[in-house]
Amino acid sequence: MIEDILLALPLAIVVLGAIVLMLISHFPTVSLKKYNLIAVFFLVCAFILKLTQLDDSNHIYLFEPLFNKMFVIDTFSNLFDLLFLAGAIVTLLINTHYFQERDYYNGEFFSLLLFSVFGMMMLSHANELVTAFISLEIASISVYILVGYNKNSLKSSEAMLTYIVLGALSSTFFILGTALIYGVVGSTFIGDIYSFIQNNPTKEITMLIVALMFIMVTILFKIGAVPFHSWVIDVYQGAPYPITMFMAATFKIAVFAIFLRLYLIDFTHFYDIFSKILQVVAVVTLIGGSWLAISQNNLKRMLAGSSIVHAGYLLIALSSIGLGAEFAAPAIVFYLMSYFLSAVGAFGILSFIAAQRRRRATFDDFKGFSQERPYLAAMMTIFMLSLAGFPSTIGFLAKFYIFLSAIESGQIFLAGLGITVAFISIYYYFKLIALMYFYPTDEEPKKFPFGISSSVIFLMALLTIWGGVGTGWIPFLPGVDTLVETAKEAINSISVKPY
Amino acid sequence: MEITLNHYLVLSTILFAIGLIGVMRRKNLLMLFFATEILLNSVNIGFAAISHYYGDLTGQMFAFFIIAIAASEVAVGLGLLVLWYKRNGSIDLDMMSTMKG
Repeated sequence: MIEDILLALPLAIVVLGAIVLMLISHFPTVSLKKYNLIAVFFLVCAFILKLTQLDDSNHIYLFEPLFNKMFVIDTFSNLFDLLFLAGAIVTLLINTHYFQERDYYNGEFFSLLLFSVFGMMMLSHANELVTAFISLEIASISVYILVGYNKNSLKSSEAMLTYIVLGALSSTFFILGTALIYGVVGSTFIGDIYSFIQNNPTKEITMLIVALMFIMVTILFKIGAVPFHSWVIDVYQGAPYPITMFMAATFKIAVFAIFLRLYLIDFTHFYDIFSKILQVVAVVTLIGGSWLAISQNNLKRMLAGSSIVHAGYLLIALSSIGLGAEFAAPAIVFYLMSYFLSAVGAFGILSFIAAQRRRRATFDDFKGFSQERPYLAAMMTIFMLSLAGFPSTIGFLAKFYIFLSAIESGQIFLAGLGITVAFISIYYYFKLIALMYFYPTDEEPKKFPFGISSSVIFLMALLTIWGGVGTGWIPFLPGVDTLVETAKEAINSISVKPY
Repeated sequence: MEITLNHYLVLSTILFAIGLIGVMRRKNLLMLFFATEILLNSVNIGFAAISHYYGDLTGQMFAFFIIAIAASEVAVGLGLLVLWYKRNGSIDLDMMSTMKG
């Protein structure tokens, strides 16, 4: 019991922080900076606590007499919790200036963000479909509100409207699938579904496949895979910068947390069907996403399009899991970590610039940026290189593992397409680099703005490079192998099935 | 005629289809939120019926959770609707035209 309480403490701290922030947002005297500090304080507490628990807990059910097996605590969920907490902390720290420059932020913003993180953490622990649905909704509803947080902007409200209508529609498919599974299996526990299919390989199999497909529709919608991508670009553009960053880097990872858990356990017996579906979705996602990213002039929209492409790479790895690539699942976790680092950095720089000048960040605004702010331009270049998968950055290693697993599972066509798309992506990433370095500017060169935001961005850039080259070169510092090992351990902790 | 599980499931499916068509066809924002309510509640009927069929109360408990979720989703939606009406004077979806993506 005591151990359970200790393990549940990080979740409790986050939700407590959200409630505390909601209560003190009633007092008008508290400044935004203080709200930010309080939110970061709670998140850091949860992060440190989670860090100490990362390894020592293998497959424990949280409060088993009370909740049965609804919440599982294993290395997988702990690792994802760490990512969500880090994502929220970094989002809040980088956007410190942005919050103060805009007049529509208040205490509730931070409270909602913490609730959203709480929902994501629950999602990674969920071992039961209705629990997963509820946590997905806690996270999504908070994000819906955050997207429309800028009440004065028509775009922001419109983005929220698109997102809430389509999001509500898509999430009903998840619960419909759950109802069908409940009808067939009589239980909604992930492990029970697995053992039911194991024991009755032919009973009501069509119904189960249809149900799992409904669940997959919701998940593909949330990650913005192509048949369900129509909302991504508009919502990313309309949302305030901090939230775009939060959605792209953190929320997407959260959806993959539940998708991986479901795919590795419940989909096991239907891999031949779902691998085919995922292959088709991956192909259209890669092509459609690239086309969308190429045709954008606004940087935020371009990054939104590129986030669709990254979802496509992840789908390649997912389909290779079913075809027997052993390293595919850890590759996904590693790719998520690398995408997290680069996306947070790229969006962070955009919001850092947007906090200081009030104009749209189109490609043209970046002409001659290297003369105006050489250090920021250098860091932006690092993030772009990493997103494009250039060697010596973490993005290269991540893409390498994905393509390796695709080839290992015999999907030569998909691997080839992935590499082609990576080449195409060089066009829109390097366009920005070229604009920054090869054009003159009228602006005066500015000093490097020392502060929390810029140092966090600098840290992200350092990590991106370290992930690409620092493998064991620097003594006393864990190399990128540690990340890969952690990813493997995390996947092992769900693959061991004591159901 | 005795009403069996199948009848309830068919009812649930019909309601789900109605909701789906509602979301696709309606232009009025309020009607859109009604349609999502119908979608979620049709699933609730399914859950309650299946739970009665198995004689296990979990499904009915889930229905309550789903009602709560539907309520919170609509609460957020209605907040947005009020904001939208204040600005545009109408709750028609056709007013949405700032971004084309």
